[in-house]
Amino acid sequence: MKFKLIKSLDVAGLSVFEPVVRLLWGEEPKVQIKKIGLYIVIPLLVFISFLLVWDFMGPRHKTKSGEVPTPKVVLDAYKKIVLFHDQEYAKLDDYNREGEDRVAHLTEVESRLRIVRDVLGQIRIALEDAENQFQEKLAKYLKPYQQVVAEKQKDYQARKAEVEGKLITWGKQLDVNDKEGKKDYIKAVALAKREFEKNEKHLKVLRTELADKKINESPELVTLRLQQTKLEQEEQFLVKRISYLSRANRSLKIEAAETILGDQLANLSNAYGDEGVYGLTLNILNSQERIEKIKKSSYAKPPTFFDQIWTSIKCVFTGFLIATFIAIPLGILCGLSSVFMASMMPLISLFKPVSPIVWLPIVFIIVGGFITNPEEAFISPAFLSTAITVALCSLWPTLVNTALGVASVENDHLNVARMLRLNLWDRLTKIIIPSSLPLIFAGLRISLGVGWMVLIAGELLSSSPGLGKFVWDMFNNGSSETFAQMFVVVFFVGIIGFLLDRLMVIMQKLVSFDEAVSTL
Amino acid sequence: MIHHFLLPTRYPRALYWMLLFTLMASLSSCGGEGTGSDDSLDSLLEKAEKTAPISKEEKSGDRQSVSPEKVVQKISSTVLERNELKFGFIKLTDCAPIVIAKEKGFFDEVGLQVDVEAQPNWKTLLDRVISGELDGAHMLSGQPIAATIGFGTKAHIITAYTMDQNGNGITVSNAIWEQMQENDSSLKLPQPKHPISANTLRPIVEERKASGQLLKMGMVFPVSTHNYELRYWLAASGIHPGFYTNTDKVGETDAEVLLSVTPPPMMPTVLEAGNIQGYCVGEPWNQQAVAKGIGVPVTTNYDVWKNNPEKVFGVTKKWADENPITHIAVIKALIKAGKWLDSTNSEGDLVNREEACRILAQPNYVGADYDVIKNSMTGFFYFQKSDKRKMPEFNIFFKDHATYPWYSDGIWFLTQMRRWGQITESKPDAWYHETIKKVYRPDIYRLAAAELIQEGELEESEIPPVTTDGYKPATNEFIDGMTYDGRYPVKYLNSMKIGNKDLEASS
Amino acid sequence: MILMAYLELSSVNFGYGPSANRYEVLQDVNIEVNENEFVAILGFSGTGKSTLISLLGGLNLPDSGQVLYKGQPVVGPSPDRGILFQNYSLLPWLTVYGNINLAVKQVFPEFSNEEKKTYIQKYIDMVSLSGSEKKRPAELSGGMRQRLSLARTLAMQPKVLLLDEPLSALDALTRSVLQKEIINIWESDKRTIVMITNDLDEAILMADKIFLLSPGPKASLYKEFNVNIERPRDMDSLNLNEDFNSLRNQITACMVEFFQSEDNDSVEIELPDYQPAVFT
Repeated sequence: MKFKLIKSLDVAGLSVFEPVVRLLWGEEPKVQIKKIGLYIVIPLLVFISFLLVWDFMGPRHKTKSGEVPTPKVVLDAYKKIVLFHDQEYAKLDDYNREGEDRVAHLTEVESRLRIVRDVLGQIRIALEDAENQFQEKLAKYLKPYQQVVAEKQKDYQARKAEVEGKLITWGKQLDVNDKEGKKDYIKAVALAKREFEKNEKHLKVLRTELADKKINESPELVTLRLQQTKLEQEEQFLVKRISYLSRANRSLKIEAAETILGDQLANLSNAYGDEGVYGLTLNILNSQERIEKIKKSSYAKPPTFFDQIWTSIKCVFTGFLIATFIAIPLGILCGLSSVFMASMMPLISLFKPVSPIVWLPIVFIIVGGFITNPEEAFISPAFLSTAITVALCSLWPTLVNTALGVASVENDHLNVARMLRLNLWDRLTKIIIPSSLPLIFAGLRISLGVGWMVLIAGELLSSSPGLGKFVWDMFNNGSSETFAQMFVVVFFVGIIGFLLDRLMVIMQKLVSFDEAVSTL
Repeated sequence: MIHHFLLPTRYPRALYWMLLFTLMASLSSCGGEGTGSDDSLDSLLEKAEKTAPISKEEKSGDRQSVSPEKVVQKISSTVLERNELKFGFIKLTDCAPIVIAKEKGFFDEVGLQVDVEAQPNWKTLLDRVISGELDGAHMLSGQPIAATIGFGTKAHIITAYTMDQNGNGITVSNAIWEQMQENDSSLKLPQPKHPISANTLRPIVEERKASGQLLKMGMVFPVSTHNYELRYWLAASGIHPGFYTNTDKVGETDAEVLLSVTPPPMMPTVLEAGNIQGYCVGEPWNQQAVAKGIGVPVTTNYDVWKNNPEKVFGVTKKWADENPITHIAVIKALIKAGKWLDSTNSEGDLVNREEACRILAQPNYVGADYDVIKNSMTGFFYFQKSDKRKMPEFNIFFKDHATYPWYSDGIWFLTQMRRWGQITESKPDAWYHETIKKVYRPDIYRLAAAELIQEGELEESEIPPVTTDGYKPATNEFIDGMTYDGRYPVKYLNSMKIGNKDLEASS
Repeated sequence: MILMAYLELSSVNFGYGPSANRYEVLQDVNIEVNENEFVAILGFSGTGKSTLISLLGGLNLPDSGQVLYKGQPVVGPSPDRGILFQNYSLLPWLTVYGNINLAVKQVFPEFSNEEKKTYIQKYIDMVSLSGSEKKRPAELSGGMRQRLSLARTLAMQPKVLLLDEPLSALDALTRSVLQKEIINIWESDKRTIVMITNDLDEAILMADKIFLLSPGPKASLYKEFNVNIERPRDMDSLNLNEDFNSLRNQITACMVEFFQSEDNDSVEIELPDYQPAVFT
């Protein structure tokens, strides 16, 4: 049991937890505790201190797009993302509810809406009071500053008028030949000009300061605002739910359409000798068609963060599979034949360094040419283009590693094959491929990592649904939460990338034969 | 014209068969006597003729007079070709009608499940509408026109609904604003007099030109309202914004100011980085410049051309032909959404805008902060931190027949495309009228509106009278006071100081 | 019965590299092996012993001269001449069973599943690897690996067994156990064996005939010795056997000769001329 656990940990690349398992079985507690300290506690402490440093530094680094979010803000943003997800799925469920279930939910939501509206009413009143108080306070606070600015402006204007007046008079009195006087005059006007400019600049500074002057809103006001926002959003959500539980509900729509159909059928069975029979019959057929369509309809749910993650994962694996199917056979051929390798080399060297940003538009155009009717295509062209781009960028490590693996099969193993007179196919499947599997999987692992990175960029460009699009949408939102939402994405992209990597490590370990773990 | 959409002759042949099968089934289920295993149409008709021969007249089918009421009844009893649709939009506040129609259930009411999806830029949006990935989208007014005449991506796009009027602003960087103030000290006032023309920008442009470093400004798309407005504003003060030519697709020939395409959300960032010195863009990106303190909006397009059409709802001609009934249903929902957005109480205050802002602030729609969206949507605009003004008509979604696809609006864009060389050769008046009639489809708008009137959702007075020829009366509410009459595009073009000119027809 | 060598190398030359920089491994080697004979080829490391085996096995072809098997020139490897490789050459991704199975499937494609299973098990038992069927080579000790390798080669039922220093990597104890096993197998199931070794005692213990190779490069057959000691032979008693001792001395003398001649041929290495440091 213990060894199985340790082995599984090792295979999963989580051997850092090995001491924990050993400790649980009471094996050399001192050594294990020391190991836990070294490999678990210290990294954990580093991570925590990273969070602390971030928490401390974040608010101190102000950008024009707002503060760098603290971990708490990021967590809040994440919670909002989850809330959005839950709400959309609630709407989806509501749309599909029927019968008793629907009525029960409707009553529940309606009663909740009443409560929300009550509270919201109270909050609005309280908020208005608080707002007025704050405005008064603000006016009072700003008054002295405004006065200062006003006075300064008045002073400067008076000074300017006075100086200008004097200068004008002086200028008028200047004698034609009074060279000295003119010199002085020029000096005086220059000084005056400089003074005016200085004053004006000062005024501007004062005005900017005034515009920036503010007092912190009372915590009460802030909470009230937050509550209002939250409740208004909930109100909106509930109203929408009610509509999906009542008039926009699928089962009710079907019912209504069926009632109409029933009437129409009744009409038809009574009708005779009328040229309207034809139209009536057509209407009946239309009603039936409509019912069928409603039955098949579903709530048009916007993709939530978690939907996007799922799409991204599907996309990266699609691309990864395409890459694998291209890279492994090519790699094997390259490894087997040096002529083939040499002839492929220029192509590989040419395409390998091309960035996904270049591939994407090209792939887009090509794929678009093949899929003329996306409505009926079983796969969305944007999705496919992104997947192919991922494939194009990620197939190289696998290709190179496969070629290397195949080319470097041990001579002894090949000799065995020769001695046994294995045919080409057997030699490939029984000797060459098994022997190069560890290298191939090492390549696949790198490929998947590259693919995941390319994917996000690809989605961002192609507007194919997924995490990349989510990032771009959030960026386009330009809201105060944008920054925090991006951080959420950073964590998710990182964690998923890590998990994908672990997955490949496990597979790599399972196919590797040099270590004892392979028996697992 | 009307029954064109309604007669089942538009159904493909396969649908006939389906209809007949189901007809048999439904007849038998309601006790009708029409049964039989023979399922070919001709043999069925033969059989029917034998039992009760029908007269030629009756056989020819629909002889009913096409009175409006009957039409409406027939529409509502016909089936939507599609009831699950996907529309694209760009994260700007003027996508509101689509979003509101979805969130307030107007799409539901006409039996549509609509998925709306944010698009990264106008080019992608257009491409995806053309490729069919999107059924329709929130488009720049110039986009359907440009696509149809083949400037940029060529595809026949039509529009039957104008989404809003106004809503853009021109922002310059702080440094340029200071120089403009130097050139005209009246701009130093805390609330300078509007409209601000580009006259004070002129010396700066000349200076830059002399130093060989042309002024650079950003706009969002070559055929966007923003491009034409910015050019109009500059040219009105004698600054040449550059021509497009056969060889110059960027539009910088003879330019005194270089205009470049920048996606809206990037505008403030690029301005701050100093790559451009000003831009023309929709909200909330002008307000962002104020909030971040990096630039000053000098004018809005309300001043450049009062109540100019801004965005339209565009679909491909192919889609519209294949889904005529669905199209009408969509327009119905959009008209209702527009009306909802512009509805006022007895005191004339817009009552639904705050709710609309809450909806638009959702991350899957515009997603900007509620307060930022609220500023422009509820009729306020910050020109500087110290200069907040009431602009009740900054965004118009419905009133004064704003949603009606006026031919004259479309023709203005055509004149601008010709003026700046996007249309490379000279065109006669007739071409303008023909072209715009291919793109702007008030006929579809009227069908949708007629249904709404029938349903009591709309007043007759809320749509233009039937007598209108689709052209707005001549107006001179431009920043330079020039008169525009959509009936005479070439004459208008020739009245401009800067820009291409054409030969007027000598009749 | 015509007396013709079963396996024969006649004036074989073999070398590597381009003509400008050619490394001649073997030069004019002539060896004859009779049927059912146990032959040991003895030589220092680097005398091209492994090359010799691969020539016999058909893995390499001679540059000139001929390798004849039953009078026919050898053109390639064949399961008829099973090679036991020096470094086992087991396929590490296959289990004990799988390694043998690979060979058996190839050589006896006509076996049914049942037959195959019993057949493989027989050989696993023969080399006393029972119980380790599901293990992989990485989990086996050196001796077990060599036994597995032996079982695989034997399972092919080759007419000629070519052993390439099969025991040199093993410790003394395992080595002597395996020596016995190989002899037992040979005795119970007579066939021709050519074994390469660098251990004189081993050669005398096991072989009927010993070929001594001169050191490389350009190695060739130096001398041929017949071992006429009666079987079964036992290491302990051999030490007291006179035949054994004389043969051993004979061969050792030859080998020492090589050393001396080699010394004469080789360039003299100058020793560094160290002066003791003087501390004053």
